[in-house]
Amino acid sequence: MTRISRLTMTALLSSTMLAAGITAATAATHPETGEELAADQTFTYRLLDDISSLDPQIVEDVDGSAVSRDLFEGLMNQDEQGNLEPGVATSYDVSDDKLTYTFHLRDTAVWSNGDPVTAGDFVFAWRRAVDPATASPYQWFMELMSINNAKAIVAGEKSPEELGVKAIDDHTFEVTLSQPLPYFVQMTTHSTTFPAPQKVVEEFGDAWTKPENIVSNGAYVLTEYRPGERIVRERNEKYWDNEHTILDKTVALVITDENVALTRYLAGELDRTDVPAGQFPRLKKEHPEEAISFPRLCNYYYTFNLSDSGPEAFKDPKVRQALSLAVDRDIIANNVKAGGEPPAYSFTPEAVAGFTPPQSEMASMTQAERDEKAKELLAEAGYGPENPLSFDVIYNTSEAHEKIAVVMTQMWKQKLGVQANLANMEWKVFLDTRGQQDFDLARGAWCGDYNEASTFLDLLQSDSGYNDGKYANAEYDKLLAEAKTAEDTTPLYTAAEEIIATDMPVIPIYHYAGVYMMDSDVGNWPTENVEQNWYSRNLYKLAE
Amino acid sequence: MLTYVIRRLLVAIPTILLLVVASFLMMHVAPGGPFTSERPLPPEVLANINAQYGLDQPLWKQLWDYFYNIVAHFDFGPSFVQKDRSVNDIIAQGFPISLTYGSLAFLAASIVGVGLGIAAAIRHNTWIDYFAVSLGIAAQALPNFIMGPILILTFTLWLGLLPGGGWNGGQWQYLIMPVIALSTSYMGSIARITRSSMLEVLNSNFIRTARAKGLSHKAIVWRHALKPTLLPVISYLGPVFVYVLTGSVFVDLYFSTGGLGQSYVSSALTRDYAVLLGVTILYGALTVIVNLLTDLAYAWFDPKIRY
Repeated sequence: MTRISRLTMTALLSSTMLAAGITAATAATHPETGEELAADQTFTYRLLDDISSLDPQIVEDVDGSAVSRDLFEGLMNQDEQGNLEPGVATSYDVSDDKLTYTFHLRDTAVWSNGDPVTAGDFVFAWRRAVDPATASPYQWFMELMSINNAKAIVAGEKSPEELGVKAIDDHTFEVTLSQPLPYFVQMTTHSTTFPAPQKVVEEFGDAWTKPENIVSNGAYVLTEYRPGERIVRERNEKYWDNEHTILDKTVALVITDENVALTRYLAGELDRTDVPAGQFPRLKKEHPEEAISFPRLCNYYYTFNLSDSGPEAFKDPKVRQALSLAVDRDIIANNVKAGGEPPAYSFTPEAVAGFTPPQSEMASMTQAERDEKAKELLAEAGYGPENPLSFDVIYNTSEAHEKIAVVMTQMWKQKLGVQANLANMEWKVFLDTRGQQDFDLARGAWCGDYNEASTFLDLLQSDSGYNDGKYANAEYDKLLAEAKTAEDTTPLYTAAEEIIATDMPVIPIYHYAGVYMMDSDVGNWPTENVEQNWYSRNLYKLAE
Repeated sequence: MLTYVIRRLLVAIPTILLLVVASFLMMHVAPGGPFTSERPLPPEVLANINAQYGLDQPLWKQLWDYFYNIVAHFDFGPSFVQKDRSVNDIIAQGFPISLTYGSLAFLAASIVGVGLGIAAAIRHNTWIDYFAVSLGIAAQALPNFIMGPILILTFTLWLGLLPGGGWNGGQWQYLIMPVIALSTSYMGSIARITRSSMLEVLNSNFIRTARAKGLSHKAIVWRHALKPTLLPVISYLGPVFVYVLTGSVFVDLYFSTGGLGQSYVSSALTRDYAVLLGVTILYGALTVIVNLLTDLAYAWFDPKIRY
């Protein structure tokens, strides 16, 4: 090496070091909280399984949606509490008849290839979502949003061009609804409604989401995707609010086995992982700062088969009441799950926004009182030692479901002398069996599609596709139909919950909790967002 | 010899066809489909999706289209579950990974297994024999789904020496644990088979003749005993080679390698018909080829078969 080149090298090296030093210095504290930030702003978390798609209109799983929220940005975003905040749209107007929404889009929003994000991209994406040719499993979401003509387009009766969406100009997007929908704007945070880059989609077709082709408009861009192994997204320098993004990189590692994931978390390879069922108390004791639990918008229940193929005994509400009363939810929540899950006495989780489920009579009783009442009711229904009640219980194969089913049937046997026979089934077989009403009592669970009580209560409407127990109560249906357009939904939802408490078509067991091991240097994880719609751009890493 | 090989390959084609038809029918008999989900799709949505994937066609038509696309375009169809990827993509990405650690595990198992077995047989009833036998039994008693977690606990959590999973383009640190986890139990079996085979051969008449001729122990073992010893080992190795590739599902699950074993099992569970069929064809073809190679190796090792 000559003297000159050595000198140049030294100069180069020192300038690089200087530059690195400056970056480290400027990234040192959080602009609002003043907390000291880590030099390496990378967040690594565990994915249970590979995601279903990178295409926002097609993705259907929770983890895939989280990736989609980082890569793409829709009209509205959610903040850490789940409240709406502007996304690509800075504001919106609603017409007096509440049927037309006009969104004003920011002119600073651009795609990662530099093209501006326009109202046309939203029109394109929304039409794409309902187009039967896209075959999106979320076509129904557009129907649920009550967008004009969505139902007819999905049914193949109209063309996607007739969907109630319009680009007034590049930065004005207009949506027409078929009926007023109070929570319409909340639904625009869902990935199905994210924009799609028309030119790129048309150029590459189905291959547009390949890492080498994908163009996105979110705070992050996809930099690496190894199916079954990892998904890496890194800061999008072109994102309109890039200067407020702190986290540089988010890495999702696919680790199917939850215990292996926990081991790798403990070895320092992950910043976040799920706590396997029953291990929370131990982990909380050993790592009090890191084991966290917070309410989530999901319920866990058992559903009676009330259709003609169901057992005769379940047609009697007293039998259903008795079985529900005898389930000691505290034992299941505290000893079996043990992750801070609240025991459930209502169908709608308490965590839901804008509605507090009424305190049922059962909830205010002690377990001894409940057991006593259960015995009485079952005797009144004509079941006892001479005429024992017997039925089958089905659940899908999983250690956690099995534990709960075993505990529950033991409670019935010991307290009521009821013989419940357990059968576990592989997931798809289970869904098929339950969907064909080929069961007596079956496990069920639901996570809200949006943060509003109807996402749960609608499930028990007589025409709901998820009502596998075929519960039908005309009064209940009427209340829910009224709630769709009502100014004040609370009295209607309260009445609906009261009907459930009396009819007991399902046995609510517990409501979910998010139970995580979360490295204490992860800043601003949205534990108060009950839907757990998290955005990497709101996170940061603290200096250790 | 060449006609024999060609004949065997031609026979393989109807075998694989039968395999595909059988898997195809069994798959469709299993309750539920790729689009059965916790959240049931409205009937019109389901109809659109089924139409898009051709699942609304009669079974014989689906099967015909499937074969047609393979023969005409070498296209194994789209994945029904991982919607951005085709079966060709999934196999192209996963198979090289499975093949890499599978082959390494196979080599490790054969070399160490045969070595242990021979050492044990030559030093019959000495401490070497006892050591090799107990090591073999211990290895065999630890299947890969037990080895996996033990290795991760030891090397990742306690010693902090190796990354707990991932593939990273097949870097050596990421290869060690999958290869150990996959190879140990086969290593044990191979050692056991080699040992008993070698003992049998060493007690046979032609070895006695060789000894009587005054040949050295070394020459007897390596020149005369080794080949016949390996015959039963080879017949075991053929299936093992296919097993290390197909049986790698645990390795894929525990070490997140992104290999094909994981796709095989998950496609069955999620009723991802096209992926399941594609991987079945691949493994079927592999089995046929490996069986053929095993038979050829047999002929080379055993003159009695050749002549």
